Amino acid sequence: MDLATQRKWDRAAPGFDFMNGRGAEARWAPVKRHLFSHMRGKVLFLAVGTGLDIQFFPPGQNVVGIDISPRMLAFARPRAEAYEGQIELRHMDVHDMPFGPGTFDQVYTSCTFCSVPDPVKGLSALRRVLVPGGELRMFEHTGSRIFPFNLMLHLMTVVSRAVGPEMNRDTVENVRRAGFTVRAVDNVYLDVVRTITAVA
Amino acid sequence: MERRAYFVLGDLAANLLTGALAALPAALLTVGWNMWIGMFAGMFLGMLVATLLSATLLLIFFGAMEVMLPCMLTGMLAGMAAGMFVPMGLLTPASAALVGGATGAAVFVFTYGVNAHLSGPLHLEG
Repeated sequence: MDLATQRKWDRAAPGFDFMNGRGAEARWAPVKRHLFSHMRGKVLFLAVGTGLDIQFFPPGQNVVGIDISPRMLAFARPRAEAYEGQIELRHMDVHDMPFGPGTFDQVYTSCTFCSVPDPVKGLSALRRVLVPGGELRMFEHTGSRIFPFNLMLHLMTVVSRAVGPEMNRDTVENVRRAGFTVRAVDNVYLDVVRTITAVA
Repeated sequence: MERRAYFVLGDLAANLLTGALAALPAALLTVGWNMWIGMFAGMFLGMLVATLLSATLLLIFFGAMEVMLPCMLTGMLAGMAAGMFVPMGLLTPASAALVGGATGAAVFVFTYGVNAHLSGPLHLEG
């Protein structure tokens, strides 16, 4: 277990919904609802956090939600209990998942791989627990290739890294480096906020 | 592409406010300074103000990257303009705030234009 990362998100947990639960969720609701509408089979949701995304899950799904922060999961629990389907919440580091190979049909992430300390290793771990041909569907913010946005994101990362995310990662390339085949990339905002669909 | 009035008007207001508030301290601080030093100090101050605003108040109401990214750019440019033109005697602090607001409006239009061009599915090679 990466205790430094756990402590960082435990500290962020009490204020997380206040900062992120209104504007960002309202802004991204249509995109997330559409992305999650593709849920099928046994689903792993990585970094479920305080469970803000659960409201966008289609009903009747079978989801395992994991997070490195037990304090985040404590906030997520009432949302998981209110969900019209099955959500099992588990305290877990993506790098040390005890699931066997091919346990899940799909993996979903939402603003996660800006924060996983070793993104390629984390993505490789996700590929391991997916069935062959299983889908990885991501809603992520990434770095930009366009000036001046790339400059801004590099500058923001200097500060943001201390409290959580890195703003300048090439997540699409990281997905490829982890051995996935990228099937679709959709730009939601500039070339920064994106949905990514890949196959194991 | 964002079309909801709450977010479009919110993004515009966020950039206008950030531009004005970023330019003002830069303008007040750099009166009588060397233009080049004023420009870099203004950039730094503008980005600091933009970060504080966008990572707190604006983020809560209007979302994350969509407000932080253009507001950071607005803050940098507005601070730079104020820090450069005030030492040259071309702007007063009050008019620097207006120029900051105009910078915010320009960044808003630029960002929405680039976003309209970029948003949607990418063609993947292979």
